[in-house]
Amino acid sequence: MSLALTRRGFIAAGAACVLRPDLALSAGPQRIVSLDYGLASTLLSLGIVPKAVASRADWDVWVIEPDLPAEVVDLGSSWEINFEVLTSLRPDLILTTPFNAALTPRLEAVAPTLSLGVFTADGGDVLPKAFAATRALAARVERKDEGDAFIARTEAFFDECRARIARIGAPPLALLSFLDARHARIYTAPGLYHNVMQRIGLANAWTAPGNFWGFETIGIERLAEMKDPATRLIIFEPVPADVMPKLEESPLWQALPFARPGQLAVLPGALMFGMLNDAMRFARLITDHLEQAA
Amino acid sequence: MSLKSHLGPAAIVVMLLGLSLVLAAPQAAVLMGNADAATGSAMHRLVFLNSTLPRMATALLAGASLALSGALFQQVLRNPLASPTTLGISAGANLALVAVTLFVPGLLGFGRDLVALCGSAAAAGLVFLMGARQKFSPISLVMSGLVVSLWCGALSAVLMLLNERYLVSLFIWGAGSLSQQSWAIPLSLAPKLALVCLVVAAILRPLLLNELGDAGARALGVHMVRLRVVAVMAAVALAAFVTSAVGVIGFIGLVSPTIARLAGAPRAGQQLVWSTLIGAALLFLTDTALLATAGAFADFLPTGAVTAIFGSPLLLILLPRLKIRHRLMEAEAPVSLNPATARLAKRLMLPAAVLVLAVALVFGRSPDLGFTLMPPDLSGDLLALRLPRIAAAFFSGAMLAVAGTILQRLTGNEMASPEVLGISAGATLGVAVAVFLVAAPGLGAQLGFSALGAFAVLSVIFLLAARSGLQPERVLLAGIALSAMVDAVIGVIGATGDPRAVFLLRWMSGSTYSVSAFGALMAAVLAVLLISGSAFMRRWLELLPLGSSAASALGVPVGRARFLLLTLAGLLSAAATMSVGPLSFVGLMAPHLSRQLGFVRATPQLFGGALIGGMLMVAADWLGRSLAYPYEIPAGLVSALIGAPFLILLMRRARA
Repeated sequence: MSLALTRRGFIAAGAACVLRPDLALSAGPQRIVSLDYGLASTLLSLGIVPKAVASRADWDVWVIEPDLPAEVVDLGSSWEINFEVLTSLRPDLILTTPFNAALTPRLEAVAPTLSLGVFTADGGDVLPKAFAATRALAARVERKDEGDAFIARTEAFFDECRARIARIGAPPLALLSFLDARHARIYTAPGLYHNVMQRIGLANAWTAPGNFWGFETIGIERLAEMKDPATRLIIFEPVPADVMPKLEESPLWQALPFARPGQLAVLPGALMFGMLNDAMRFARLITDHLEQAA
Repeated sequence: MSLKSHLGPAAIVVMLLGLSLVLAAPQAAVLMGNADAATGSAMHRLVFLNSTLPRMATALLAGASLALSGALFQQVLRNPLASPTTLGISAGANLALVAVTLFVPGLLGFGRDLVALCGSAAAAGLVFLMGARQKFSPISLVMSGLVVSLWCGALSAVLMLLNERYLVSLFIWGAGSLSQQSWAIPLSLAPKLALVCLVVAAILRPLLLNELGDAGARALGVHMVRLRVVAVMAAVALAAFVTSAVGVIGFIGLVSPTIARLAGAPRAGQQLVWSTLIGAALLFLTDTALLATAGAFADFLPTGAVTAIFGSPLLLILLPRLKIRHRLMEAEAPVSLNPATARLAKRLMLPAAVLVLAVALVFGRSPDLGFTLMPPDLSGDLLALRLPRIAAAFFSGAMLAVAGTILQRLTGNEMASPEVLGISAGATLGVAVAVFLVAAPGLGAQLGFSALGAFAVLSVIFLLAARSGLQPERVLLAGIALSAMVDAVIGVIGATGDPRAVFLLRWMSGSTYSVSAFGALMAAVLAVLLISGSAFMRRWLELLPLGSSAASALGVPVGRARFLLLTLAGLLSAAATMSVGPLSFVGLMAPHLSRQLGFVRATPQLFGGALIGGMLMVAADWLGRSLAYPYEIPAGLVSALIGAPFLILLMRRARA
């Protein structure tokens, strides 16, 4: 773990050296801030370190990778970014999403603003929108080549995962996060997780579509609606401490075919409201797990 | 008295239960009947036996206990607005759960129920401690309960906002979901409730005497303090058991005793029994209806939130029929600081206000996280950011304080505040509608929708209350019903995990974050106009607290005066809500503080309250901007956090 962190840190430091804004020849924006994790993470993959990110304090809990360099400033909550911080940073580009539309007029008064939507109320699959947003971002920050390379890297990684999964053959998967001992969030169409599963050749055992973020909140008893006894349950961290002991006591849970060791696994979380980096992290976690379990 | 008085409530219980059986029948038939069906039927049966049936049992038990608890509170506190939430039980439980989830999640392994129970017990204990100083007088208990409840609510909201990750599970718990996976909850709930019911049965007769009022009952030899302690403890226990087991299902406890009374159960004993049965049937019906229609909604709906959504209009419809009898309520001695302290405080008020404004304007934090005076190179930018917020905070605080003063004088009820009137709730509902209709509403759309919501509530209240001559209790009850409905709507949105819930939670907690220069100017103009308008009605404000007959004898046109004062309070609240969200606590607190500083007559109380309210909001706004920098804590929450302990302190000092 520490080895991986060091390596990642090294690469990031190297990238920062090569791509120092003051050395760069491109005329693109130099002082970029982001209100969105997915856009900030994509920016890092394009070789640009943002000056500030909203909710930076929780980056390591939600996004986990890639690492965010220490000098990146915290903009405050993504719902109510701190305008005193934003103004004093004197940015030349602000990245935001339609989700923060109420802030847009005030953001535009500070600096040029680019709003890119991946999770939008008009619905539709999330992954294609994430690709489109990546291209648009790369064009705006004048890193078109880096953007194309990043997208090619992502597609190649998905192809690799798809091949690895085809080799072992995988059962239908149900993805969920426990909210408490009686309720869970189950991930489904048109969400990021669901789209990645389709892309790498996995079947989602939960077939009903959810909201436009791609999940549905359910009582645990509704898991019985999944009929295929081969279904495997993937539970994302964190799991509240009282959930597992309480479930053990429930005859209903006991009777669920997939609620037993071997068909159930707890994996580290990935950002479900993210973009390509988060999609790749999810694909890696799931593929590694299936290979180990096979 | 005899059989006839039981007919009404009995008919209601039979009707509610019959309706639920009709709804539940097809489900039970499908699941229990065709045992010959395909592979899925074994699982269906299992779901029915271990999820559906325990869920029904839980609904009946929870409904019965909450209703009994509410009926007890209303009897003992002699206040038709009392409900389990009034003593801070659910807020205390909620705070305990939020804190444990965030800071010591390991403790949850010992049981979520236990944690919640400790929280409710602590809240109830605190309320008792404060009530004991005033011999558990009805008003002081309600007042203390309200303060504790607001304080716990504000603190859990701060914790939730700063830890958005855990929001959904807290929302679900807060909104009261009855979903079950085993018999564990109903089986553990039943014996606890039975025990409390035995206690209640034992104190039933003395409770009947309680109806006579303190003096009458004392003459009949009943020790009122002990009776009240036992009754309140039983009610607290009932609410705490339910709340810790399934979360907040508050409205049943308010609405069931009301229905029992309306249906013609006039005596304390009958009211307790019929409230209990009506509560059980009501929650059962709601939950069955929810299960029967579950397929129709893609989203997850917590029952507690749904009871409130359907329960509140029911209360609104029943409202004109509600008989509000004249209650024997001993007048409280006017409470204030000792004269020397009050004089000093009065003299320091203006300088303190200037100091607060100056500090809020020039002192702040910088990205390197230290406290600094405004750096000169940024002063233009920072002033432009801070001035509108400070102005909006000041004028909104002042307007809410004046609205609170008017409402408290008009109704003679210490619980009265702009939020209780439902105006701010209406504004919040407007914003909720905007967020969902317009997907991403701009600032203008938000303000427009909130104004629409506020005025919609105002007109509904007038329509309902006009028929009854704008009796203060009725207006308050209508306001509470509407507020509960809005809370429930937010609860439903939050429990589905929709990220827009965070936005609404922030809006509700009252932040000056999105105030523009124009918004601040508007708040200032409205504040000056409306506050001077209220000063013109000082004679009515002076005379109305004497009671409507005394006031009209002194030449006050009671109906017209009430109408105009309510309109004014509504406009004040709507104006304040539109610029900085529903900051109800200031509207509740400032009039009290003003009176305790010795501003007893109407005009001084209005202006003293306005200055205190404004100062309080500016200080709260500054703290909210600085404490968790660069993150922001909404000013409304901060004012509740610093204001409530302050109020408790003043109440204690006044007694010593």
